[in-house]
Amino acid sequence: MSGYQLALQQLVDSALPTGAFAHSLGFETYIDAGVIADEAGFAVWLGAYISQSLSYSDGLAIRFFYEGVDLGELDELLSASLLAREVREASVKMGLRLLEIGGEVFPSPQLGLYRDLVSGGLAAGHQPLAFAVVARSLGVPLNEALAAYLFAAATSLTQNAVRAIPLGQNAGQRLLRQAADDVAAAVERVSHLTLDDFGAVTPGLEISQMRHEHQRARMFMS
Amino acid sequence: MTTVSQMAPEGEATAEAARPDLGAAAWWAPRSGHGPKSGEAAGADHGQAPMGVLELQVAVRQGRSVAAHQFHQGALRVLRPHYLDDSGQVCYVVVNPGGAYLGADLFVLDVEVGDGADLLLTTQSATKVYRTPGSFAEQRMGVRLGEGARLELMPDQLIAYREASYRQRTHVTLRPSSSLVMAEVVTPGWSPDGAAFRYEEVRLRNEIRVETGDGGTSELLALDNLLIRPPSGDVTGMGFMEGFSHLGSLIVVDARVDQALADELHSLTSARDALTGISLTRSIAGTTGLVLRSLSNSTGEVNLLLGACTSLLRERWHGQEPLNLRKH
Repeated sequence: MSGYQLALQQLVDSALPTGAFAHSLGFETYIDAGVIADEAGFAVWLGAYISQSLSYSDGLAIRFFYEGVDLGELDELLSASLLAREVREASVKMGLRLLEIGGEVFPSPQLGLYRDLVSGGLAAGHQPLAFAVVARSLGVPLNEALAAYLFAAATSLTQNAVRAIPLGQNAGQRLLRQAADDVAAAVERVSHLTLDDFGAVTPGLEISQMRHEHQRARMFMS
Repeated sequence: MTTVSQMAPEGEATAEAARPDLGAAAWWAPRSGHGPKSGEAAGADHGQAPMGVLELQVAVRQGRSVAAHQFHQGALRVLRPHYLDDSGQVCYVVVNPGGAYLGADLFVLDVEVGDGADLLLTTQSATKVYRTPGSFAEQRMGVRLGEGARLELMPDQLIAYREASYRQRTHVTLRPSSSLVMAEVVTPGWSPDGAAFRYEEVRLRNEIRVETGDGGTSELLALDNLLIRPPSGDVTGMGFMEGFSHLGSLIVVDARVDQALADELHSLTSARDALTGISLTRSIAGTTGLVLRSLSNSTGEVNLLLGACTSLLRERWHGQEPLNLRKH
């Protein structure tokens, strides 16, 4: 077993208290509109979300960090490209929690630097970057870190969908099995993307994230 | 430590070639293959000088905005300026005499609106991108807005034909006191058999930076990166076009942008058939962006919706009538 294995498991465990249970990142808008009402409907959304937002924003940010791009610059790119306010706020909210937890359980000089940038008002503190900093400091190779991050995101979203739609627990597990293939494809896709691709979004996902701001009855903050 | 702008794609020798996006100054410099200066770049798929170049600088003279500098070359020019009202705002219409963008074509526009000046920039007709086998057509636009300067950028719709690839990069640098409104309409394209989304790829990338000091330091306010690539899968369904055919986009950057305005535009648009989302960007030095994204089923429908929003802003902020761009 690799030295980082258990640490990585702790980092991506859905019990890690980053507040992921409070975010739908736009799928609640589809539930409210009656477009997502069952397992099949959520599967379509989750596939789109993994292949788009999670690949072109989170995944690419993680890869660029591993390749040595400046942390402050990547943080700014995320703040500027997450145009739906609730999603931008979600990324920072969960990022700050991860920075805080990481500071206690997986401290490293690089993590200290990111925390300093944030406390100095020079960075917002985004979730994928906080994760990338900790994962790299633990010695997790890029593709393993990417796969773990993307699958953890898919897991949180699926658990939230199971509560919100609602779906049975077995349906949730079937969705995750399917998401694993989407995650593998996303890891492959991220390796081919360029800076031009950073933050690319599809209109539908983004509009639903924006429209969530005006949804009346809601379970989620995004 | 490397920065994004220092990251070089494999085999690229020049710093210019590797930093098309983030450098505030050099984004329009010839990238791999564009223009004669980049002959050293390997693997170029564009071998010639730009098909069209347009430079326009607008400044205030005796209460009216006028062109202080104007240059055009090749397949781009502007019509004689006109004034649609007595606000002093000058209106220029960009013309592409060739009528369309073809494979490997590069069009470069450089627009500067000086302190206090006011420019309405539009096009004479839709931007049409024809087949670009093995290559892509590209438009790069650089915009710089001075103190209190205003730009309304209202181009006609984009139509990408069968097997067309198109990249549009717009790079705006503005001051916290500047005012920007830019619209965009993307149609499902055109193919002989009437089927939609038969083009290869459309990329529309807007980067907006706010200059916060005199030293040219700027911060990234918004990166709006739209990518539609029909061959890669279902672009019409959930998460993508949601069953709609047309996409409208509006970006507003102004110190007066706030949540109340976003809410008001939300109410204004929610009565329409289009599916619309509106959100605020981050704020930098007291200015904020508002992004509106809308899906609908016709160019007319998108234009009505975008027109309702821009009319509200024109009336409220500038006491102007709704825009009536009858193309003559």
